[in-house]
This record gives sequence, C-alpha cells and structure tokens, in this order.
Amino acid sequence: MRVVVDVMGPLQRFIKDQQRRVEVEVEEGTTLLGLLIQLGIDTNEPWNASLNGTLGDSSNVLTEESSVIVFPPIAGG
Amino acid sequence: MVPGMNHKILRVNLTTRQVTVDEPDDLFYRRYMGGAAFVAYYLLKEMKPGADALSPDNMLIFALGPMTGTPVPGASRNCIGAKSPLSGGIAKSEVGGFFGAELKKAGFDTLIVDGKADTPVYLWIKDGEVEIRDASHLWGTTVLEAQDAIEAELGERLVRTATIGPAGENQAAIACIITDVRNAAGRGGLGAVMGSKNLKCVAVKGRRFPRGADQPKLLEMAKWMNNNYMNIGNAKGMHDLGTGAAAGMVGGNATGNLPVRNWGDGVFDDVEKITADAVRDEYRIGMEACPACQVRCKKVVELENDRFKVDPRNGGPEYETLAAFGSFMGINDLAAICRANELCSLHGLDTISAGGTLAFAMECFENEILTLEDTGGIDLRFGNADAMLQVLEMIAHREGIGDILADGSRKAAERIGHGASEFAMHVKGVEFGMHEPRLKQGLGLVYSVNAIGGDHMSGLHDTAFTQEGRGMDAVRMLGHMDPLPANDLSAAKVGMMRSAHLSRMIPDTLGMCHFVPWAMNQAVDLVRALTGWEYTAVEAMKLAERMVTMARAFNMREGLTAADDQLPDRFFKPTPRGALKDTAIDPDEMRNAIHTFYGMMGWDPETGVPTSEKLEELGISWAAT
Repeated sequence: MRVVVDVMGPLQRFIKDQQRRVEVEVEEGTTLLGLLIQLGIDTNEPWNASLNGTLGDSSNVLTEESSVIVFPPIAGG
Repeated sequence: MVPGMNHKILRVNLTTRQVTVDEPDDLFYRRYMGGAAFVAYYLLKEMKPGADALSPDNMLIFALGPMTGTPVPGASRNCIGAKSPLSGGIAKSEVGGFFGAELKKAGFDTLIVDGKADTPVYLWIKDGEVEIRDASHLWGTTVLEAQDAIEAELGERLVRTATIGPAGENQAAIACIITDVRNAAGRGGLGAVMGSKNLKCVAVKGRRFPRGADQPKLLEMAKWMNNNYMNIGNAKGMHDLGTGAAAGMVGGNATGNLPVRNWGDGVFDDVEKITADAVRDEYRIGMEACPACQVRCKKVVELENDRFKVDPRNGGPEYETLAAFGSFMGINDLAAICRANELCSLHGLDTISAGGTLAFAMECFENEILTLEDTGGIDLRFGNADAMLQVLEMIAHREGIGDILADGSRKAAERIGHGASEFAMHVKGVEFGMHEPRLKQGLGLVYSVNAIGGDHMSGLHDTAFTQEGRGMDAVRMLGHMDPLPANDLSAAKVGMMRSAHLSRMIPDTLGMCHFVPWAMNQAVDLVRALTGWEYTAVEAMKLAERMVTMARAFNMREGLTAADDQLPDRFFKPTPRGALKDTAIDPDEMRNAIHTFYGMMGWDPETGVPTSEKLEELGISWAAT
C-alpha cells in the first residue's frame, strides 16, 4: 500500500534530493518506526510524527489512508 | 577571591541616591552562584515582606551568572528579577545581548536597585564608577530613541543598555525590559517595576573582564563548541533559521502543539505563512549573535509597505512571537507580526503576555463581552491584524481599552467581568508560552508549579522523550531511563519533569544560553575552568534545587498557595478540532502529579510549602517563615 509522507526540516537530508513530500510503498503491518527505517531516516535522531492528525507512536501501524508528517520535536523558543 | 568574579554587588537606592558596593565572600558565590539564584536569594532575604510590586520597596535585580561575559558561546545571558506585578510572586527573566557582559566588564557581578527616584533618571555605570543622571527628557521615548539619545549625550558609542519604553513608564504589568534595543527580559512585568522606580535605563560601559582560573581551558572549550555545534542537537537549525522553523510549527500544527485562537481551537490552516522559513524568504536581512556565539539564532528583519515599515535595529520575531501574534490570534499577516514584534521592542512589551492578553481580548470581543463601545470602535476579532497593531500601541500608552489590557489577562478579566475570566489563559497571572500543555502534559505540570508562572523554558518538553534515540540523552543523564508518552503524568514522569525543571535552572544561574548545546557535564567543566572549584553536576543540581526552593519560599511568604498552581479550565477539555479533539488533561491526574511533585521536592505534599528539613538540607534554614 502507498502512504504519503511529509519529511520536515533537517530530517529531509536523509531523503533523496532532500524532498519534503514522498510517496512510499509499504507492506501491510508496517509501523511508523518501520516507515522511517524504510525511508532511510536515522531513527536515533530526535523525531516526532503526526499520524492521521495526531501525535504518533513508533509502534503505530500504518493503513492505506495514512498521512504522515515527520519532524524534529519543538522544545522551546 | 573566586577567579572570574568581580566580588562586587552594586546597590543603588534611588530614594536616597545612595550607591554602595557589597563584597561577598567566596562561599557566598559557591552557595548562590549568580543569575536566577541571586534573584531568589535577595528577594527572599532582603525584600520587605508583602511589599507591593510597584512600590519603592521592591528590588530590581540585574544578576549576572559567573559565566556571563566569558569568551564562551552562549555565555551572554543575565537574569533580571523582582517581585512580579503580574503574579505577586517572583519574576525572573533571562536575556541575551551584550548588556550582561558589559556590566561584568564594568566591575560588577550584580546590580540591585531599590527605592524610587523623585524624577526620571538613568544610571550610567562605567568602569566601576556610577552616576545617577536625569532622564526627564527621555521619559516618553521609545527604547530605540532612548538608546540614541543616551549615546549622544554621553559621547560614547556601543553603550550597552537595559531600558524601558512607554509601557514600562506607564507601569503596564506586561511591560518588559529591553537590553541593547532588541533583546527582551520579557516575563513577569519587570518593565513596570523599573518604571515604578522612575528608572528609564541602565547604561553600561566596561573594559576589564576578570580572568578565569584556567583561561586556556575556557578558550579550548569555546573553540571546540564553535567547531562542533553544527552537529549537536538542533543547533544547525537554530543557526539557519532561529526559532520557529516550519518543521516544528507545521509539525506542531499537525500534532496539537501550535496554539490557536487563545488555546480555543486546534488547527491553523495558514501556519506555513508565519514560520521562520517564511520570515527568511520574505523579510529577513540577516542573523545576529550574542557575544562569542556562532549559533547566531537572532533574526533581523526589514520591511516597508503602505501601512508601516520595520527597522532592522529592532530585531525580528522568535517562535513565541510568531505564534503569539500569529496563530494565537488567528493572524496570517507576517508583515504585521514583524511590526508587532517591533512595537514590543520599541515600547517594551513582553510579546508572550501581550499576545496572550490581546488574544484574550479578541475572544471576549467575539463573545460580546467586549463591544465596539469598549474598544473605541475597533473591530477586535480574531484575525484582524490592523486591530492587533492598534490595540498593542494603546496598551503601551494605557489608552482606551489598552488601559485595561495593560495589566495582563487575569486583571483585565477581573475589571471586565461578565465571565471574561473563562478566557484568561494564565498561570499565577502570567500568560504562558506557546506550547500546548494538553499535548505536553509534563510541561503542563511545570507550567503549574513553576514559581514564575507558565514558562516554556522552565521545563523540558515531553514530545522529545516519547521514544528511543538521542533525544533521550537529555533525560538519561539526569537518571531517567525510559521514554514516556507525552500525556503521561505518572510518578515516573513527575520525577523526569522535576529533574528537567532543575536542570533548566543550571544555565539560568550560570548566565548560559539554552540554545547553545552544552551538555551538563560540559557546563560543569566550564565552571571548573572559570572558578578553579572542584565543581560537579551533583553540586549544580543542588544549587538548582536551592534556587527553586528559595523562589517557592518567596512565593509562599508573599501569599501564593497551592491553589495558584493551576492551569486554566480550558486545558481539562479537548480542543474542538485538530490533533487534540479527543485529548485533554485529566484534572485528578494533574492534581495528583502536582502533589507528587511537591513531595519529590521536599515540600509539604499538600500545601507545597518547603519543609524545614528541606531548607536545612539545602543550607537555607534562614528561609523558614
């Protein structure tokens, strides 16, 4: 199944041509963490994700309609 | 003598015009260090109990940290504090720029001002000499006008200043103190305290910095940070964009962190128009640094349109300002946000409290609690940028509706009545930072218990510690091993937030910036190199505990109670839409977490009053009331 992912900020450096929006084919049962690994994002980097409009957890399982935004946590300013 | 310190505390009583200098011993510095801990110490030890915040008895304290002014990236900060006219408790606010370093070079570690001048004055401090000068001709000027006038009459360039604008002169409780024209000691109403003393400005010039015990080590560490910061944490992002990057704001909008319409909504469709990326693309002409810092996180903007122009000397908006004058008011007009930021610099207003109070007024207007008659015909709806700019200036000058709003949302709600308090979003009378406590519930705990009210820099943010990765390093080094959900309020989370709150106070006592990514052990090494002490992280955390407990004891003495450790009711209900439409804080869980926090701090678990045993352990038994 295909999911649409927006990769934001410094995490874009892990994406080919540093694109913001990518569409990716994933297997059934793929988790948010699995998606990041598949995208080549270093999951040791601090990251948060919005999954279908709420804060996602790394163990959340993606579905056909999943919309994902991956971004660095905001923590002050 | 402790290397790196001047061993001189400058005191100026503006009533008697007496200038004196204290020379504390070595142990005083080791026990209280400087910065926020000095502020808490002097207020608790010396301020007349129950003094009105705007009376001559209040003490306005410009407290440097030991690191302030050293040639180390991030060592530019100083803390300004007093009793807050907003909360009635302690106000402390950290600020960058060059003022703190200059005061250190002028020969002093801290300046304490009390009393009240008969007529407006400013202080001129140069190389150990102090002069109280007439400022009658400066009263009514903006911060920028005052800067130019003072430099002209002193015949000096690069005079470093801490100044109030008309908002402070008019004792607006949301007024701040501006250093070097465009840096704000924003929180708690310090500008009003300065105005109540008829003190327009503290102007400083100095030439000599006290050498550290191991100056080569300091320089070696500074060089290391300059060579490596781009690869640590988010420092590269701060270098490129400053705060408010689209990555965080768009992500925040998608997960519920972005504040929208006075915390009353959950989605802001135009978020991409108000980010630091948009500022860079539209109006930014450069980035600026504090002394010795290569992170250079401060935006400088310039623009001119048919409505107004923005002078780059007045800086540029940080995240808090972008959000407060943007999504928080439903405004997508980036030029107007930059102008609002400039008005706050010129008039000396805290952008967070000004934004929070204006958003409160907008919600009152939309609910017909405020009417066109009240606003003088201004259509103060969410999204009206021109109205926002107009009322902002009225606040600074206490004109019309601005007179009511000048004292912040809590007091404004009390004066307006008719249920307006429902829309006043504050803790202890202080509007809080632009980070959503329904999402970051541990931060909501810190907002609640924090002595200065809801401050986003007083705790770490839960979303950084929800999963494995390098983000966990910041809490593992404090002894907390496991990731926790953002909405968790278990004892494990309370313990994590207690440690986080204390660790955040370490830079605030040292005069260090949170945005230069020194790890705690490195900060300890910097103190060792500067002072020659066998300093440790254990001692640093103990100092932070001493500081937080003194601040708590001060608040208790001044009449605050556990009932003041309370988020507004709005946060115990979900947002009407967006990421938090099914998420709210459970009031029982939060109340339980607050009492657990008290216990972990060694405060009475019910009342939150520091116990005599804890005061004794911290070596501050004198603080018992």
